[in-house]
Amino acid sequence: MTTEQQDPETAPPKRRSIVGGLPSHPRPSVSTILEQYGLVIFLILLIVFFAVWPKTSGTFLTSANIRTTLENQAVVTIAALGALIPFIAGQFDLTVGANGIVATFIVAALTTKAGVPAGFSCIIAVVAGAIIGAASGIVVAYLRASAIVITLGMATLLGGLVILYSKSNSITGIPTSLISFGAKNWVGVPRPLWLTLIVLLLVGYFLRATVTGRRLLMIGENPVAATLVGIRTQRLILLAFVLGGALYGVAGVVLLANTGSASPSDGFSNTFQVLTAVFLGATTVRPGRFNVVGTIVGVLFIAVSVDGLSLAGASDWVQPVFTGAAVIFAVGASTVFARRRVT
Amino acid sequence: MTDQAQTDARLRIDSLSKSFPGTQALSDLSLEVGHGEIRALVGGNGSGKSTLIKILAGVQPSDPGGRITVSGKSIAAGDITPEWSFAAALAFVHQDLGLFEHLSVAENVFVGLPYPRRAGRIDWRSLNREAASILERLRVKVSPHGPLAGLRASDRTLVAIARAVRGREGVHDGVLVLDEPTARLAAPEADRLLAALRQFAADGQTILYVSHRLDEVLAMADSITVLRDGAVVADRSTDGLDAGELSRLIVGHTVASTAESRVDTAAGPSLLEVEDVWTGPLRGVDLTVAEGEILGITGLIGAGTSSLLRAIYGAQKRQGVVRLGGRELPGGNIAAAVRAGAAFVPENRLRDGAFITLSVRENLSASYLRRFRHRLSWIDRRAEVEASTEAISAYGVRCRSPQMPVALLSGGNQQKVVLARWLTGEPRLLLLDEPTQGVDVGARAEIHRQVRAAAKRGCAVIVATSDADELLELSDRVVVLREGRVAVSAGRDEVDRHWLAQRVFGHDYLQESQR
Repeated sequence: MTTEQQDPETAPPKRRSIVGGLPSHPRPSVSTILEQYGLVIFLILLIVFFAVWPKTSGTFLTSANIRTTLENQAVVTIAALGALIPFIAGQFDLTVGANGIVATFIVAALTTKAGVPAGFSCIIAVVAGAIIGAASGIVVAYLRASAIVITLGMATLLGGLVILYSKSNSITGIPTSLISFGAKNWVGVPRPLWLTLIVLLLVGYFLRATVTGRRLLMIGENPVAATLVGIRTQRLILLAFVLGGALYGVAGVVLLANTGSASPSDGFSNTFQVLTAVFLGATTVRPGRFNVVGTIVGVLFIAVSVDGLSLAGASDWVQPVFTGAAVIFAVGASTVFARRRVT
Repeated sequence: MTDQAQTDARLRIDSLSKSFPGTQALSDLSLEVGHGEIRALVGGNGSGKSTLIKILAGVQPSDPGGRITVSGKSIAAGDITPEWSFAAALAFVHQDLGLFEHLSVAENVFVGLPYPRRAGRIDWRSLNREAASILERLRVKVSPHGPLAGLRASDRTLVAIARAVRGREGVHDGVLVLDEPTARLAAPEADRLLAALRQFAADGQTILYVSHRLDEVLAMADSITVLRDGAVVADRSTDGLDAGELSRLIVGHTVASTAESRVDTAAGPSLLEVEDVWTGPLRGVDLTVAEGEILGITGLIGAGTSSLLRAIYGAQKRQGVVRLGGRELPGGNIAAAVRAGAAFVPENRLRDGAFITLSVRENLSASYLRRFRHRLSWIDRRAEVEASTEAISAYGVRCRSPQMPVALLSGGNQQKVVLARWLTGEPRLLLLDEPTQGVDVGARAEIHRQVRAAAKRGCAVIVATSDADELLELSDRVVVLREGRVAVSAGRDEVDRHWLAQRVFGHDYLQESQR
């Protein structure tokens, strides 16, 4: 009964992160390499497998398939990069999908019903995304409410407003200028992928190389210590939600350009797909931290498995079972690795 | 001191070893503690004290080969379980007492055991009776009915001891193992607890106790075992041993007494002015600190020493005026205080100061990232690495590279990182809350040296501490807080331990102790 092992006062603070990991040891060993790049290796093996598996080998590595697969990932990737910002600051954000759907309706309604030019409508949609982010951010940062609960409420509320406005009908007749953005190439690469690349570089630069990005990381790591070194944590948490919201708006615009119509939804299935990629990403490259490159690996991992399995004609249940198992395995293994390292 | 100490060994440890991957935590350790003997176990951080205690408690297996004998019962050290340890009457009280504020004393004593029941309901009468009987046998004058929250600090420790020895035939039969029992007590409370422990020993209690407070160890223990790097470097009676010799044994080389190198720097112009500050327990505090002056503040637990530091720094809302270098610091605004040159090292440096999964570099630059900021908010990574490499060598942080996550450093080195973060920023005002709690003598001297160096540069320093030795060693001036106000402020030369005890408790305590 009086045999506690560690004095809690001197024990290092527990990780609050979902993946419960610690960054890897600088000395490379087989196990650290496996831990750090396990998901990357798994992704490569998966690609090789679909390339040689008789059921998919004919179609999987064709340029048309690679292209569609990547093209379809632009939306998810942009949204995941957006979600990364509040997640790095230690804040859950479940408004990803709902916020994106709102953006599709804003652009669709403004262009088809109010005759607002497509470009301007897109800017309004992105600003609206930022405002929605600000609304969640203010409640979370300044009222110190739980982010997961507030954003769950916000997402549900937005889903309801979308139904109210659309009366559960889709909006079609989107201007061709917008749809052609989704369809056209630049230097042989679809334009949405260029946009994704720009967002990737900006978010990567912001999170890795700027003072503000570093401060968000410190807040996510230890909010008390961050406050005590003079970081205005509330302001920055608000900023994280605003930037995340703006990027969900961008993702919504690209979604509209790809699909050509705005369909009502609360976006939760999109949210969970995006968050799955973000969590998978936190198990690789810099295990235990949400990170940009890992997130891309996470997105690609899901994309490749979905694509390969559907080319093989697998039943509907196979893909969610596969992805779900991959998340449980990756996060579980990463947590075990981390624990083994510290004890 | 007992005569029979060597004749009747209560606890005997023979060639105990414990290795972790890469380190030998204990190597071939042997020691013997006699009946009714108080044995102090001292050593630096990482010397193996905690490992030894964990092995005795049966929560960590030792390497095969060692043997433990308690009151004639012998067991291979690798086979100890918590059950064996309990049955052999080894009783442990950790630094964190693990008591429950809102339960009664009796409930705290019996927590974890099934309470006595009558007709399906808890039999409070018998619970209180049994607790009273244990407390009485320990000669602890505390009512079992009252809430723990009402007890003074030393009595809480005694309640924890009562819990550790409950269920034994004779309360003093076993071996009591105490891990830094006085680390968090103000001097008068510590003295009171030590008096109780000496009474236990006189009643036949065998005590093995860990402490970093050397004067206390010398006054209190019959004998002493010094560990360094997992091995016993000295095993002797405390007779004829002085603090200088003891710290030499612990560190392995001579530690310059920091008290001697104290410089009187209090003559500078006043840099920090605190006027009529109210917050938490504070009810109108006024004080000033001069450039280059080290002000020590102390008081009972709850006197508000931490609150005062936090209020000055802006970590806690306040009323009243705080000026640094003539410019007012807005209340509740840490960022403004940091920009004005204030630095605050919290009491719990790891929990409230460290970013454990971030690198040493990221931890060191956390408070002065602004210096590396270029256009577009870009961080000059090379300058950051250079600065952190410099800080690592200046503050003696042991790590393989600045990129290493702080989680992989030892506890002492993690503490150094947090302290170095603030000192490398060259603050004008340094606020330290219990700066050496839980660190070993060597590290403590090092921290004191650095604080003094900061003061020499012209930094105004406030040290809040409950450790009287530290207060006397480090301060140029001493302020005692009582009932939310400055009870007294005095130059270092007017202050000694007795003076402190009187001022900290006020007159009620004096009258009570005279009775």
